[in-house]
Amino acid sequence: MFVAATCSVSTARADDDGPVAIVAAKVLVASWEGEQVIDHGVVLVRNGKIESVGARATTEIPDGVRVIDVGDRWVMPGMVDLHSHVAGPDVDLNDMVFQCNPELRASSVVVPSNRLLDRGLASGVTTVLFIPGSGTNVGGQGILLKTSPSTFEAMRVRDPGSLKIAQGDNPMRWGYGMGRGLMNHHIRDTVARGEAYAKAWTSYEKGEGSLPEKQLDLEPFRDLFAHRTQISTHTQIYRLVLSTITMLKGEFGLDVYIDHGEWAGYLAAPLAVKLGVAAIIGPREIDTPSARLPNTDGKIVSVSAEYQKRGPMQVGFNTDAPVVPQEELFLQATMGVRYGFENDAMEAVRGLTIVPAHTAGIDDRVGSLEPGKDADLVVITGDPTDPRSFVELVFVEGRVVYDVATDGRRF
Amino acid sequence: MKFHEMLQRRLLFAAAACFCTLVALPTVFAQEKGADDKKEDEKKDADKKDGDAKKKEEDKWFAVTHADLYTGTGARFRDATVLAKNGKIEKIGVEVDLPEGTTVLDAGGLVVYPGLVAYSSNGLFGAASSDFADSVNTFSPNLVMALGNGITTTGQSGAALKLKRGEIDGVLMKDKATTLLNFSAQNPQGRRSLLDKFAATSQYLRDYRAWEEKKKNDKDLKEPAKKDSDATILQILKGEILARFQSDDRDELLGIARLAQKYGFRPVIEGCREGWTIAEELGRAGAYAVVTPRDRVDKSEELVAAGGTSIENAAILRAHGVQIAIVPSGKSVDLGGIAGRDILALTVEAGFGVRGGLTNDAALEAITIVPARLLGVDHRVGSLEVGKDCDLIVCDGDIMHYETFVQQAVVDGKVVYEKNKELFYAHIRPRNDSALAPETRVDKGQEQPEKTAAAAESKDDAKKDEKKSDKPDKKEEKKD
Repeated sequence: MFVAATCSVSTARADDDGPVAIVAAKVLVASWEGEQVIDHGVVLVRNGKIESVGARATTEIPDGVRVIDVGDRWVMPGMVDLHSHVAGPDVDLNDMVFQCNPELRASSVVVPSNRLLDRGLASGVTTVLFIPGSGTNVGGQGILLKTSPSTFEAMRVRDPGSLKIAQGDNPMRWGYGMGRGLMNHHIRDTVARGEAYAKAWTSYEKGEGSLPEKQLDLEPFRDLFAHRTQISTHTQIYRLVLSTITMLKGEFGLDVYIDHGEWAGYLAAPLAVKLGVAAIIGPREIDTPSARLPNTDGKIVSVSAEYQKRGPMQVGFNTDAPVVPQEELFLQATMGVRYGFENDAMEAVRGLTIVPAHTAGIDDRVGSLEPGKDADLVVITGDPTDPRSFVELVFVEGRVVYDVATDGRRF
Repeated sequence: MKFHEMLQRRLLFAAAACFCTLVALPTVFAQEKGADDKKEDEKKDADKKDGDAKKKEEDKWFAVTHADLYTGTGARFRDATVLAKNGKIEKIGVEVDLPEGTTVLDAGGLVVYPGLVAYSSNGLFGAASSDFADSVNTFSPNLVMALGNGITTTGQSGAALKLKRGEIDGVLMKDKATTLLNFSAQNPQGRRSLLDKFAATSQYLRDYRAWEEKKKNDKDLKEPAKKDSDATILQILKGEILARFQSDDRDELLGIARLAQKYGFRPVIEGCREGWTIAEELGRAGAYAVVTPRDRVDKSEELVAAGGTSIENAAILRAHGVQIAIVPSGKSVDLGGIAGRDILALTVEAGFGVRGGLTNDAALEAITIVPARLLGVDHRVGSLEVGKDCDLIVCDGDIMHYETFVQQAVVDGKVVYEKNKELFYAHIRPRNDSALAPETRVDKGQEQPEKTAAAAESKDDAKKDEKKSDKPDKKEEKKD
């Protein structure tokens, strides 16, 4: 998809165990538009990629392919969390020296194979967007990572995975007298400078201008304005979501998504639908009759359901781990559904897989069980959104990376 | 309710604690009735007969009918009736005749469970205060939300409280069922002193019992001295109160198990995170564990043996005979927006118990009868049995399923919560009222004089529709 100098995509790892066919009672395909579920299905995996997916009755398993029959278990794509802070050390990346820090990179603090990611993996989370904190208006560059491999290079899916912008509230702790006007000004100023910088480089590359001076803080905007990456925004209440959409998408035309969807931000959903902005909900899944305005008249509502109600839009779920533990990503969807998120067409599972993958532009590799994609598979005892189901087996790029039989129950 | 009534009730409540102890007295006297009393009894009987007709009018009958009924005792009924008289369960069965004037709650297509018991919570009766009697508010929205999530009894500061909405009488079920002991490894002196007290008290109790025996022959024998014995520990050893510990650490847990075995009492252990590593010991000690299955703590790096939390903790402990109560990590109602962790998520947490290997029934016990036992109110709540309080919840499916909502909550034979009439959850998957309309149903053994063939047909259709899916009328309207 978008391979650029600053956007490296790791190559598929060799599959040590040879081709594998996973036979299961249910295969949750979760394709973007198309097949969603196959009963009694089989997933064929070769060289770390999915070769084919189909019904057991009509799919021929070639000779020499090892068959893993998981019986009445279900198979689903590895889950994708677009808001995670646990791929690094305990003290997270939240450097708050400047009000806007687009030059900071989450990639510089990744700690592979850490125990928090391990637990996440044991509940089926195979891809995360590891992003800086929300202490400033522009926190820095996030990185999209697989959770399982033990080296940084092998984990990396895309860098930068996003530019983290925090719209309001949290960045107010950056300094005295911080208000929404000032914060919006600084975001707009930074993006405007970035746009000019990106344009200068584009012109230069076309042979129309002189070589621009390299500015590290504005580098990520070259990817952003070329639509090779997105802005993930910490934006929650109505006014903030509104300015996220109108400014970043409306004014600058950048790919942006709501990545900390909470509270009554859903009131801006019609505009989000109009401009094609996705909403990834979490860590707060419900809006409650508290004193927050505009309030909900005392009803307890599901934030995801309220977004969903307001039009055909992409609604996914995140954890903001460790705010919600990485391994409880699925529970975010569970709670969404409990409080009213429509789940008749597998929306909850989609919100954990293909929706975030599509939102982050990595749906060519992850998010569904379709031929050509990475063989990131999760074998689970039943409905993935039921806390009573548990993960038995996880494959990442064709390799077994968690197996209850040998690793014991991690979650 | 007028203000002065409120005030009166509050005063009544303050007196309730004293009253509780007084209640026991008539029972004591009743056992030692003399001949004179018998005469009076006969007279009373005569009076009673006269008053019977009048009395019957005063009896309040309440019934839940057509229910899929989980009694919590292992029994399950289809199309069952629970009949309550004055708030106590009178009959449970499939064909139950309802007395005239019974208030009927038709639970057709719904599942009925005993009201849930939260082992411990804060703030369900308004702002938590050290003195419950001063701060109790039975109109609190928290109480309504708790009912809406199935909780009808809760522990708070060691007392067992019933979620009686808008009423103060009967809220306090039991003042104190457990006593907290400190057996922390961080406090070796306290530990030593506790051990000494146990030794002294146990010795005293032995001496006292021996004295009681010998006294029969030698009336002048002196009662043994209490010396260093401890009044609370005496209660524990006599089985009058449960000893409660807060402990997660393997070594501490082992110490508690051994203490309990040595002195023959059953410890209640809150936390018990590393319990799974020494489940056999805890099982032998007859321990009760109050656990949060989702808890996650890494084991100490210095610990060579297995340690830290395990999602299988509850299941492993139970397999070794430890009785399990489940509590969520949050004790109060949390309206901050992060869902599934506060006291309202009791069933979600129990679901994590199932994730770790508990059966659905065991997980349900862990939020009903076991906590009721620990709070000392299992003779009244925690399961649906004749003679117990009619505290039950009517749900639109398996209570352990995340989509299931409590449709009605009944406390002491009175509907105190109806989902479709309360602001909080009414908008979420509302049930079509017609699915519950009594006139579309035919009660077994009851005549339906005005029933037409067409009505009977439509009723059959309705039943067929219901059977088609576990969760009927999620969205679509019933056609009849």
